Parts: sequence; structure tokens; C-alpha cells
Amino acid sequence: MKIVVAIKQVPERDAQVHIDASGRWIEESDLQYAMNESDAYALEEALQLKEKHSGEVVVVSVGPERVGSTIREALAKGADRGIHIECDDLNKRDVLGVARLLAAALKPESPDLILTGLQSDDLGYGQTGVIVGELLGLPHASLILHVEKTEAGLTVKRELEEGWFQTIELPTPAVLTIQSGGNKLRYATLMGIKRAKTKEVRLVTAVELNVESTPVVSLENITLPQKQKSTQMLPGTAKEAAAALVEKLKFEVRVI
Amino acid sequence: MSGIWVVIEDRAGRIGRISWEAVSAAQKLASQRNEKPNAIVVGAQTESLAAEVASKGVAKVVRVEHPLLSQYTSDGFTLALEQLFRAESPDFVVFPHTYQVRDYAPALAARLNQVLIGDVVAIEDGPLFTRQLMQGRLAGSYKAHGAGPCFISVQSGAFRGETADAGTAEVTTFSPTIEAGQIRTKPSEPFRGAAQTVDLGSAQLIVAVGRGIKEADNLPLVQELATALGAELAASRPICDNGWLPIERQVGSSGQTVAPKLYLAVGISGAIQHLVGIKGSQCVVAINKDADAPIFEVADYGIVGDLFEVVPALTEALKAARH
Amino acid sequence: MIFFSSTLAEPQYFSTIEKVLFVALILTSFVLFWQRFGPILNKILKSKKDVDFHLFPAGRRVWDFFWEVLCQAKVIRERPLPGIAHAFVFWGFCAFAIVTLNHVAVGLGSGFLNPASLIGRFYFYFAAAFAVACAAGIIGLFVRRFLVRPRWLGKDLSYGSGMVALLILVLMVTYLAAFFVADADPVTRVLWWVHTLALLIFLPLIPHTKHLHLVLSPATVFLSRGGFSQIPPLAGDEDFGLVAGTDLTQLVSLQAYSCVECGRCTEHCPANNTGKILNPKEIILGVRNYLNDLGPASQEPLLGKYNSQQAVFQCTTCGACEFQCPVGIEHLPILIGLRRGAVNTGAWEDNHGAKLFLALERGSNALGMSAMERDKFIQKQQFPIFDGTQEYCLWLGCMGGYDPKGREIIADFARVMNYLGTSYGVMRKEKCTGDPVRRLGNDLLFQQLAEANLELLAQNKVKKIVSICPHCVRTIQEDWKEFGTPPEIEHHSEFLARYADKLPKQKAAGTEPAEKIVYHDPCYLGRYRNVYEEPRAVASLAGDVIEAPRSHERSFCCGAGGGLVFLGEETGERVSHVRAQELAATGATTVGTACPFCNTMFRDALASSGEAAPRLMDIAQLTARGLPQDGSKLNGSMTA
Repeated sequence: MKIVVAIKQVPERDAQVHIDASGRWIEESDLQYAMNESDAYALEEALQLKEKHSGEVVVVSVGPERVGSTIREALAKGADRGIHIECDDLNKRDVLGVARLLAAALKPESPDLILTGLQSDDLGYGQTGVIVGELLGLPHASLILHVEKTEAGLTVKRELEEGWFQTIELPTPAVLTIQSGGNKLRYATLMGIKRAKTKEVRLVTAVELNVESTPVVSLENITLPQKQKSTQMLPGTAKEAAAALVEKLKFEVRVI
Repeated sequence: MSGIWVVIEDRAGRIGRISWEAVSAAQKLASQRNEKPNAIVVGAQTESLAAEVASKGVAKVVRVEHPLLSQYTSDGFTLALEQLFRAESPDFVVFPHTYQVRDYAPALAARLNQVLIGDVVAIEDGPLFTRQLMQGRLAGSYKAHGAGPCFISVQSGAFRGETADAGTAEVTTFSPTIEAGQIRTKPSEPFRGAAQTVDLGSAQLIVAVGRGIKEADNLPLVQELATALGAELAASRPICDNGWLPIERQVGSSGQTVAPKLYLAVGISGAIQHLVGIKGSQCVVAINKDADAPIFEVADYGIVGDLFEVVPALTEALKAARH
Repeated sequence: MIFFSSTLAEPQYFSTIEKVLFVALILTSFVLFWQRFGPILNKILKSKKDVDFHLFPAGRRVWDFFWEVLCQAKVIRERPLPGIAHAFVFWGFCAFAIVTLNHVAVGLGSGFLNPASLIGRFYFYFAAAFAVACAAGIIGLFVRRFLVRPRWLGKDLSYGSGMVALLILVLMVTYLAAFFVADADPVTRVLWWVHTLALLIFLPLIPHTKHLHLVLSPATVFLSRGGFSQIPPLAGDEDFGLVAGTDLTQLVSLQAYSCVECGRCTEHCPANNTGKILNPKEIILGVRNYLNDLGPASQEPLLGKYNSQQAVFQCTTCGACEFQCPVGIEHLPILIGLRRGAVNTGAWEDNHGAKLFLALERGSNALGMSAMERDKFIQKQQFPIFDGTQEYCLWLGCMGGYDPKGREIIADFARVMNYLGTSYGVMRKEKCTGDPVRRLGNDLLFQQLAEANLELLAQNKVKKIVSICPHCVRTIQEDWKEFGTPPEIEHHSEFLARYADKLPKQKAAGTEPAEKIVYHDPCYLGRYRNVYEEPRAVASLAGDVIEAPRSHERSFCCGAGGGLVFLGEETGERVSHVRAQELAATGATTVGTACPFCNTMFRDALASSGEAAPRLMDIAQLTARGLPQDGSKLNGSMTA
């Protein structure tokens, strides 16, 4: 089984992000980056499928030079080779533009399965995988927690809202977007990093792929959200405080 | 024709609150041009759904109906709505940001060379659509430039659904052409997660109790609060160490790691071993008699007070609010 | 007729048959010795070279040899009674070296020490005194091993040891008896032959029993790495720690064969004492058995049949084993080496461990908290940011930055520095020092964290660091050396002790009974850093310092070290509970700590011991309590 995993490099989860001078993007110079979390789960799923059914795991990532380190991390965890779509204007492209790059790079690979994480921790569109499937004419399923290979193709477990699930059968080749938490992630090892040094990473530029890049949707500006998290103390008698809390739970936390 | 359209989602014939919120968002967009939005219901039998929506202040309800739409599939819904939108060329299409919409709307938009602006929390003049970035640490405003329809999906709770106007709208039917072979995925009936006795990891609402409860005999007080809220009961380590609650209810570094929408900590001071287990929570509420308790450092809302007074009051208030 | 002779009796002649027999017996004894010892030596020499080994400077080695081997200092200090018994036997053996040589020479007809000469008479009496002591010692040790039988000596009786004890006794008795007979007495010949036979049986027994330490341990002590828990650097691209036989280095193999099975390591091991399967002695013997069965060229994994992975990951790295070992075995590099082998190759699968590693792969702290929480704390406390102008970089550490209790300690320590007028600053982008991953054997993460921090410190031109956490101090000062030159660092106890005479004394003389503070020595401050008196001096500003039954270098671990605080629930009793109960039982009103990990472990443990539990305070908090409430400084000025 040949599996391609599309992974994204995102600012570290607890990075201190600042808005840049243009007001349309974040200050990148001082950031530390890591592999997007749900992509790490997609990679884990791919590695487990490979361990069970043999085959090849190829990772692909779009972005500037720094993305190379995340591809290496994936290789260290067990992927066989990497494709780096070098693209310095990632933030100028919309999600359709990025999906077009991925689709163009993946088409000649003709994989049996394409996995991505459910959504990115930075922009959080949650669309890339679904659109890649659409562009390549492949069936897809999203929010997948578990993948099983069958005679006919795949049986996957999909998360629905409020604790419900369903299984979906679909033929291969197919695209799946993987939800975090379905597997246990493996940690990177020294041996993995050393072995990864000899693995191939193919570089393709966005220009070479020659896809439509004019965005349909643009990010006009970035602002700090109005409400910064700080503790709100609810004063008064027990009764008053309880009533105030119920208000908050209803209209701000929205859980009742 | 053009205009503002809203796609209603139902589960087994029931329309959820988030769909009404999408209707309100669509009404907000439409009101800027003194219009009412058109609503779409999708399925194999949509008559009663359409009737329900028709009374909610929309201009028109379109029943997109086909036997192959009886159960949701991405292929079926994408095909059906693609055909409708090619025929109607809407300006804006509003979806509720549900798991189902996230599954097909991006593909539908791409098929029409458009991009869905997903998980919108606010609409400003322009229109500019605001959505969260960096997991809520920043907010971004998006604008659509395409000639085709602008697709947006709205976040649950971002637009008040109760404001939907009354009125009676015209209902029409649209019959898409779908062949069985075009639907490539075969979904099963939804099922509940494996019957685990306690699954704190996936619980959405958690009420947790700590040493402040003093004795095992006082636990029912907190259990009642959890029941009134529809929450799972959890505990800090000392409670489980004492055997007052089973170990699988323990939250913290040596117990479960949780990520609920609401974590209500009762009588928990907040040792680091406990805090690391709850850091994924979206909202933390703390009730503690010690104003200096570290739990207040991480809490979104705090009540300083005697839990033996606050908890019963809260249980009562919750019961009242639920009616 | 028996009479007391003033000289040692020796047979005056030997027949040719006797001489031939004697030579044949000597040869047989040596062959039997070598048959066993040769392969052992070969296995040690065929083991991998220790790339980090340097013989020089040798001063430390010579001192260790003199103090630990010749003076038997460690043997005696840690177990006085059996230690002295052992020292008598050892010194007896040393004294007997010349006696034995002369004994053999006599048999070959060329004795060089004439019992009748002044020197001979003197030396044989000298040796006789040792013989008496040695005999008494060996009887004592025999009684202990076979009749008292302490738990740590293991369940199985060592018949080899019994045999050796008997032989030593025979040697001593036959030697002493020779003072009571005449040269010509036939008994003299019998004594001589019995003595000879005992010697020649003893020699081949050495490599076949734990008495191999007689030959090896002087070398082991002399050659040991020296630094406490000194973890060797990995050598080359294929070194992932102790994975298989081919990874065992000469030092490890030498140490494995040197083990005398005394069980001091096990006696003091917190894991073993609380019902875990880890037994440090068995770990060393596991390596030895591996070498015996498979040798140093084997590719068989070291963890599996011979040592259990579970046991290896129960170690808190408290270092009691290594500290106690009288024969120079360095347990921690071996235990951590086995962990490195398992973690660096991905063989160790543990949910909590993976969570810790992933938290540090993705973020900056071992707790997996958001760095923004740390920022909020810095802002709230209005800590100055280090900009190169201040004297100290105040290292927050994960506990000081995120743990509510650790934050209190940091804040109080900062108050004391403010009072003293010491300038300091904190670093926003400080990361975990890598202590837990270092001890758990994750070299990849450790290197990344050490390098990132070293770069940050260099950028900020930090010259001096002070930290409330002994783990941070140790890791920065010693473990980071592999990747650069860390700035000077000290623990806050050392800092505070230096200013002890400038800090307020809280005991009003002769009034109400002073607070009784039982001070708990953190492993990483005591055994690892040899700092015992400074924190006591600081604590004594606040009250009367009393001692727990196990204190100073014998202090019992809190259970947090070695990354174990992150590994979830432990099997058996909780180490923290055992120690907390011991501390509470002293009747102290306050438990004084000097490590935020100890503090957090005891917090839960003391709470479960009921209402009368003593208070728990770091020495920084004890000190800050005595500061003037109005915020005035030492020099009289007021803080802003």
C-alpha cells in the first residue's frame, strides 16, 4: 500500500505569536515550528498501516525552506521518503491554491491512500484534504479515527458530533482526514533521526507545478480577539454567584 | 436568480440549534440588502422539514429531494447542491459549521472554483467574515473575491438562533440528477461509542471534586450538580487515593487527561499534577473557599465561597435554567 | 609437647616427592585459576573501548584508591560493624602478602624471611596480630551471612562464601598455630601443608565466586569515571546506549565482574524498598550473567532475558546505589545506559513517557503547559527580564514557571534577592533543562534542549545562574558540558547560605519553643552535589533543624527523580509516602525542602497523613517569612 501523508509545519503550540507590520500576517522571524498535531496522527495512522500491510509512506509538505525540518521529523518517525513543495508565498494562497499544489505534486505518485490531519493548528481551515480529494477525483472521508484495509478498499471509523460515530466503506484510492487522538503517537528517537539522514527528500517548486494561484478568498487583516483570557470572579452571595455563573454558562461558554 | 441562501441540516428529521443560528447569520447578510434569505433542506423526504423552516423568516424554502439523499454522503450532497447552485447562482451560501458541512462543503466550493470561509464567528461590513486563528489567540477577517457564490459556515453559538423572525415562505422542490454509481462511499448507521463505564477523555462537560469536599458522605452534593449539568463526575488524586471515587475518575498527571468544553472544579486547590491534566479544557470554572488557591490562576470564572453553599445553589439555578 | 615458641615454626626440609607435589599443586592451582579468570579478563578487554576514558589527571584516582581501597573508608563508613570486620580481613590479606610469598619460598627451599632474625620475628608477630583480627573478622562476617542473613544479601545462601570463610579461617589458624610448635615437630609439617592446601584451593576459588572482587575491585575503583552519575557521551552514529553486548564498554564489564554482591545498593534503593521489582544488585549481576553466557560481541538485547525493562524504568536515579557501592560500580551510567538503549531505539513504549517526550518535542516544558502561562506569571510577579546587566539569571525551571507551589518558592526567593539588593533577571524563552529526558535516556531531546538553552544563555550573555531546583542545577552544570560551556550556576541554598549572616533570624531567644524543622536532603543536592550544610544553615535561621533517621548522604528519595514524576502511578508503595511518613514521624512542625520536585511529592503525601501533618516549606519560603513586612531592604532603602 502506497500512502502519502500531507503534513503542515505550524508555529509551536505555545508559541507567542505577534501580528506583523502589515497587519495581515504574523511575525515569522522569531517563531519556532513543529508538525501540526492532527498531521502527526495522520502520519501515525500511515505508519501503522504500513507496519500491518507493508508498502511505502511518503510525506509531502508545502512551505518555505524551514519546512524541511518537519519533513525530516516525519522521516525520523518512519516515513520512507519526502516531497517538499517549496513555496515562499504560502500565506498569499488560499486553501484551494494550496490544495492545487498538493494535488499536482501527488498525481504522478498515484498513491493508494492520501492522509492529512483534520485541520491545522494555525489557520484551522480543515479543508485541504477534502479539496485534494475533489481535485484528484477521489472519494474522501473526514474526521477519521481508525482505518482498516479491506478486500474492497477501506473501512474507516468517522467521528460524529456528541459522542456518535459511524463506519464508512470506501474504495481506494481515497483521501482521509485524520482526527487527533485515534492512535497513540510515537516519539522521535535518536536512531530514527540518524536513519532519516539517508532518506530521499525531493524538492519541487511551486512554479514547476504551474497551478492557478490567484486566491478567491483573502485574509484581509489580523487582530487580537476582544476577549483576552483572564479570570472573571463572580462575587455576591452563593445564590447570586450561582445565578451569575449559569448566565455565563448559557451565553458565553454556551454549554447549557 | 441570486441572493443569500442558507443550508439547513437535520439529524433524523430534527433541526439543531446551529441551523437556526445559520439562518440568523443569513438574515443578517440579507438584511443589508433588504432581502430575506432562501433556505435549503436536503434529503429523501423533506416535506415536514420544509414546513418547519418556512415559518422562520425566510423568503423561500427549496426542498432538494432525491431517494439517494436519504442518508448523508459527501458525493450525494455535493452533486445535489452543485446542481442547485449552478442553476440558481447564489451570491452567498451560509452553512452551519457542523461535522457534516466540514465533510462536503469544501469539496462543493472547490467544484465551483470557490473557497468556503469556515467557522465564521462574526460578519462585518464589506462583508468581512471573522474567524479564529492560532486556536483562538488571533482573529482574522476574510474577504471573498470570486465571481461565483461566496460560501461561509458559521460557528455554533456565534449567531443567536432565537432571533429568527416568524413568517410563512413559499416551498419549492428541486430534484437533482444523481445515479447510484456516483456515490462512492457507503456509510453505516451512526452508533454510540463503545460502552465504557467512564470516558472522561471524551467527556464534554466535567464536574470535578477535590479535597474541599472533606468527607465521602458529602459526595452526593457534587454528584447532583453533575447530574443537573449533564456532566461526568471526576476527582483529584486525594479523593481517589481515599477510595471515595474509583481511580478511572481521577484527573491529572497520574490519571486521565481531559479536554472538555467545561471543567467545573469544586474544592480543588490546583496542584500541578492536577493542572496538567485539565489544560486542554476550553473553559475552567473554579469554586473554592481559598481566594489564593492556584486553581483560580487557570480558571475562566471563579467563585470564592463555601462549596457547601455554592454547589446546592448552583444545582438549583441549573435545574431552573434547564426548564 | 606443646610449648610457646617465640618464633614461627617452619619445616626445615622437604623431600623431593614433597617438592614435586608442591610444584604440581601450585601449577594446578594457577591453571584452575586462569581457566576461569582468563576468559573473564578476555571478556572485559574485548568489550568496547570507553571513548571518554582518560587516565589522567590521576590524582583523584590515586586518592580514591588510597581512601576507598587501602583505608576501606567507604566500606567502614556506610556499614560500620561489617565494614570493620571486612577491613580486618582486607588488611590481614595485605599483611599476609609477604608471609604467603615466604611460605611458598620455604616450600621451594629458599625462604627469605628468617623467623629467627629480628626483621622476621617482628614481621611475623605483626602479621600474627592481623591474623587474629582477620580471623575474628571472618567469623563475624560468617555469622552475619549465614546466621543473621540481612535481606539484601539475597535469599540463596552462598556456599562459595562459606567455603572461602572457612579457608581464610584455616589459613589464619594454621599460621597462628605455628607459633606454638617447634620447627622439628611433625605438627609443623602438617600445619604447613594444611596452610598450603588452603592457599592453593583459595586461589582458583577467587574467580569462581564473588571473591573475584579481590582481584578486580582495586582496579575498578582506580579506573572508575569518578563523577557521580557521569553519563558517557554516545560515540558515533551507531551508538544508542546499552542496547546489546556490543555496547558494553570495558568499564561496564569490569564493574559487572567486580560486584561483590554485598547488597548495599539494594538496601538503600527507594524502588526496591517500596515493592518495585528493581534491584540494582540484580541489574549488575544481570549484565554479568549476560557476559558469562553471551559475551561482549553478542547482538542479543541486554533487556529481556537478563534484565527487565520494567525494572530499569523504576529507577528514580537517586544515586543511593552508586554512592554506597564499595567496589566502584557506577550504577547510574549503567541503568541510564540501558534506558538510553530502549528509548533511543524506540523500544520503550509507555504512554506517560511518550506524552512527556511529545510535550518536549512540541513545547518548552516538561509539563506540557502553554508558555503563555509562564509569561503571565512573570508579568504578574513583575520579574525583571534578564538583559545582560544583572548579576544573576534567575532560572525558573518547569516547576518554578508553572507549578503553583514552585511559583511560590520562586516568588519568595525573588523577595529575598530583592531584600539583599541582588540584581537578577529571568529569561522569557527558557526551556526545560532536559533533566527528565536525560535520566530517561532520550538523547535526541536532551541534546536539542541543552543546545537551545546554551544558545539562549550565550545570546543573553548570562554569566551566573541561580536556581531553586537541584535537578536544573545538576543538569546545567554537568550534563550540558557535552554540548558547550554552561555559565556558572548555584543552587539557592548555596546563595542563601552565603548571606546567612545578613538575613533575619526568626528565633527569639528563650521565648516560646522554636519551630522544629526536619530538613529533607534532595538526592540531586546531596549525593549529586555534596551540598548538605548550606540548606541546614539557611533553615536554622527559621527554627531548630532536626534530622530524619535517614539524612545527609543516606537521605531517602522523594520518588520524583529520573523522570518518574511524569510516569504516572507507581507499583507497590509510593516512595513519597514512605519518606513523608518518616519525616512526619520526627515530630517536626515543618518539613523543610530545597527542591520543588520533593516539595510537590510531599504535598500529596503529607496531606494523606491526616490533620497533624507538618507544614511543608522550601528553605526560600522559610527565609522570606522572616523578611520585614514593609518591603524594606537590607540597606535600609524602601522598594518601589
